[in-house]
Amino acid sequence: MSAAMLWLAVAEIALALPLLGRLAAGPAVGDRLVALNTIATQCTLALAAFSYVAGRSFYMDVGLWLSSFSYLGTIVWARYLERGFL
Amino acid sequence: MRFWVAVILLITGLGFSASGVLGILRMPDLYTRIQCSSKTITMGALPALAAVAVAEPSSVVIPRVLIIAGLLLVVNPAASHALARASHMRGVPMWRGAVRDDTTERPR
Repeated sequence: MSAAMLWLAVAEIALALPLLGRLAAGPAVGDRLVALNTIATQCTLALAAFSYVAGRSFYMDVGLWLSSFSYLGTIVWARYLERGFL
Repeated sequence: MRFWVAVILLITGLGFSASGVLGILRMPDLYTRIQCSSKTITMGALPALAAVAVAEPSSVVIPRVLIIAGLLLVVNPAASHALARASHMRGVPMWRGAVRDDTTERPR
């Protein structure tokens, strides 16, 4: 079970790597935001899987904070793009 | 038994995450990329979190998994919608093969 969870964590990080290309080359700001959002989600999943491997629930708290602040950042960016000010 | 349930959930989540990442890389348009991102969340993240919860169903893991899943389910559609609306108001072009745009013209 631990090996499967470790593979889940590694595979999620490996899925997040090609998104760095979209993050670098996205034509609009929205493309970069979508890529960044998905990278944060994959990192959250990798942290949740790694908390099982390491046997510590602390990593899951880190994932919770990461996902919540990532989405708040996306909403703030969307508001800035729409209005021109925060 | 529990091992195989976790493995099946894990493979489901990884498959949908991979298809979502492929869509974000290959789709021609910002709005279709946003749609692929939403699919990555709903069908990719929730089975993977459920796999973690099935692997260790303790009182430490399950509340955190539920909080993360609820947060993803509530905040991600709001963020996607706000991003699509802001991009459309800024004039990010749609794909040239797009058929209609209901926000600027009345549907026939």
